[in-house]
Amino acid sequence: MLLEVRNLVKEFGGVVANADISLEIERGMTVGLIGPNGAGKTTLFNCIAGYYKPTGGKVFFGGKEITGWPAHQVAKIGIARTFQGMKIMPNLTVEENVMVGAFCRTRDRQIAKKKAQEILEGLNLVQEINIYPTELPIATQKRIELGRALATNPQLLMLDEIAAGLNPIETKEIIQVLKRMKEERDLTLFLTEHVMEFVMTISEVVTVMAAGRKIAEGPPKEVAKQERVIEAYLGKRYAKGQ
Amino acid sequence: MRQVLKNILSLEDRPRSEKIGFIIFIVIILVFPWVVEGSYARAVMIKFLLFALFGLGWNLIGGYGGQVDLGQAKNVGFGAYATALMMVWWKVPFWLTLLPGMAFATAESFAVAYPMFRLRGHYFAIATLCVALVWKELFVFWDWTGGARGVEIPIRPTPDFAYMQFGSPIYYHYFIFLLFIAQLLFMNWFRKSKLGYQLQAIRDNEEAAASLGINVTNTKVITYCITAALGAMGGSFMAAYYLYIDPDFVMPLDLSILIAMTVMVGGAGSMWGPILGAAILIPLDMYLGAWLGGQKRLGIDYMIYALIMMFIAAREPKGIWGVFERMRRRR
Amino acid sequence: MELVTQIVLYGILMGLIFALIALGLSLIFGVMNIVNFAHGEFMMVGMYIAYILSTTLHLDPLIALPIAAAAGYLLGVMSYHLLVHHILRGPMVAQLFGTFGLMLFLRYLAMFIFTPDVRSVGQGILVGKTISLGWLTFDVSKFVAAGLSLLLFALVYLMINRTKLGRALKATSLDAEAAQYMGIDTKKMNALAWGIGGATVGIAGALLAHFYYVTPTVGMLFTLIAFATVALGGFGSIVGAFLAGLIIGLIMVVSGQYVSELKFTFIYIVYFLVVVFRPRGLFGW
Repeated sequence: MLLEVRNLVKEFGGVVANADISLEIERGMTVGLIGPNGAGKTTLFNCIAGYYKPTGGKVFFGGKEITGWPAHQVAKIGIARTFQGMKIMPNLTVEENVMVGAFCRTRDRQIAKKKAQEILEGLNLVQEINIYPTELPIATQKRIELGRALATNPQLLMLDEIAAGLNPIETKEIIQVLKRMKEERDLTLFLTEHVMEFVMTISEVVTVMAAGRKIAEGPPKEVAKQERVIEAYLGKRYAKGQ
Repeated sequence: MRQVLKNILSLEDRPRSEKIGFIIFIVIILVFPWVVEGSYARAVMIKFLLFALFGLGWNLIGGYGGQVDLGQAKNVGFGAYATALMMVWWKVPFWLTLLPGMAFATAESFAVAYPMFRLRGHYFAIATLCVALVWKELFVFWDWTGGARGVEIPIRPTPDFAYMQFGSPIYYHYFIFLLFIAQLLFMNWFRKSKLGYQLQAIRDNEEAAASLGINVTNTKVITYCITAALGAMGGSFMAAYYLYIDPDFVMPLDLSILIAMTVMVGGAGSMWGPILGAAILIPLDMYLGAWLGGQKRLGIDYMIYALIMMFIAAREPKGIWGVFERMRRRR
Repeated sequence: MELVTQIVLYGILMGLIFALIALGLSLIFGVMNIVNFAHGEFMMVGMYIAYILSTTLHLDPLIALPIAAAAGYLLGVMSYHLLVHHILRGPMVAQLFGTFGLMLFLRYLAMFIFTPDVRSVGQGILVGKTISLGWLTFDVSKFVAAGLSLLLFALVYLMINRTKLGRALKATSLDAEAAQYMGIDTKKMNALAWGIGGATVGIAGALLAHFYYVTPTVGMLFTLIAFATVALGGFGSIVGAFLAGLIIGLIMVVSGQYVSELKFTFIYIVYFLVVVFRPRGLFGW
């Protein structure tokens, strides 16, 4: 078991954002986390990645408890993430952005540079190496952020709405890239998305959240048929009508 | 080891125009005291090098780190007082006072840094300003520091290398130049180092930086301490060069602002920015100040500063070097 | 006992004046999340206006109050349109240096016009008058200043909470973007905040000139006191600024009684401790 979340609770001043969430991710899997807006997906991500301290419950990574670890330690142990709405470093070039990720594992600038170049090559970004990321289209920036996360040599890669704001063609491209990277680098993927199609095509297992709770789990096709999932997305009346 | 040395000395990643410009700059400084005779011009040159040195140091935390520190004068003061007091009390040679001053500045900065870096942005800037002002008020208040009267370093009957007292200002010129070069080499290493990149990542986005395994607080604290040590180094030189210091001279808010301003004007977060900034502001300050002072027109020099400052803030937050860079990229 | 009463009362009077100085800073910060380093210099302008009226024109410095308010308002609005508006979107460093530049400009403009000499308002109905209440003796001017501070606080508070304009201002401070969608001209609101900020601190300056000397560098100190006050009260909170002003006044007067050379050190330390350990301020939430 690579990642295990046990009875995780997160409250914000009495508002429960995550209630008693448990889930397990096996090494090498691709797990999708879906749910309508405000279901608590990003909160769960932030609790695992060290951006929020959970109010209760435990998080294990590779058998080791990492509950409440600060973000930088979580990154060191092998969990990388991207952010909803992107957090790219605007005053560093594309290459330097990725190099900063590579510095997670080395002190040596030459090694970091070589690694960044190798990753950018894999992402088809060689042309853009000396450009500042804000001058590039959104889809490219998303790939840069992905590359930066990959440069930290993660075992688990958590992607928070990486397809948001992309058109269908770009979405297909990023799915291709993710699949290839997963193969090449032996990654485990954990991704959220509130657009169903993306998660459904890439995930082996889907976890569904609604209103801070986990309401379903299983292979995408089965989960999509469950009444409470449809209900969560489309409302009770629609679910009944089906 | 060889790699480190190479990183310190090499400018290979910079364009050729910059390398040539740098060499010309070095040559000018080296021959300057032999070509220019006027003692005022020489004093301007020394002050320029001193503020370029201050700027390079402040650029670490303020430019690369994006943390606006408005209290660098306290570190200058620590260095200056360490040197002056040790030389006066115990007749310690100048060279042995450099390290204690830097060590004290580092230790003090380390002590205040952890609470301070719980703050961001404006809150942080005002906190740095307050800490520096408290120190200044204490240095005025205490007797052992000489209070508001300050400390005077007695002039030796004969030039004395150990106490940094020379017969000719040329020696001071070369000494500050040496310190300047040492710091420039350090910066050249720093900007290419892991610490340098991580610091810039923090400046651009703290949350993203943390997701890449960067300990945000520790990185800021380390940088803050290095900046402090570099400020103290310049302060020690000030004491030895001017032979008289008081809190209004080495610790005022104006000094903190001037240091930060040279960096802002020249270009924060770039290697040459602080040098450019000092090259513009210091001669402007000294010549304009002297000329206007003669005319009994106080304040015009600072009003011009202020206008430059507001213009840079509103139009060119990346300073003059930012304009160069943009022109180069457009081509 | 007599001394304690005297000190406490004096502290409250000074506190009310500090609160008035901090009011505008808090308002500006609340509306657009920017710190005005030139705040004390706005106050200095009010002080010099009182000085000119009294010394050059031989008028009572009280007449300076409306003039200082108008001048402060104009200064605030002009600063907003010419400078602040252009730095709002810039990086934090630029915001800081922008208003810092404004501070230096005003300070040295004053130096240029008035020279660095220390000046004080020579004559006026309130100048130098004291009032005795039993064993207590106070400057009348401080009483008037404290009373006006109360009045202005009440006015600003009512304006923000009761008038349409005030509500628009409040909406801008809560969420500028949303306010803009609701049809509020946020640029106008920002300028208004700077105007009110300038006007209130201008009045404070004209009052302060009655019992405090004027120099071109007087502003910085009061800017810092105002920062400490606003931080203590919680950035952007009007009521917080009021209560914090009282606390700061008491700290200053009490500490000044014992170690007068270090009284500002206490203020800075208070600021430091507050922002570090309770960044929301004592009354923020």
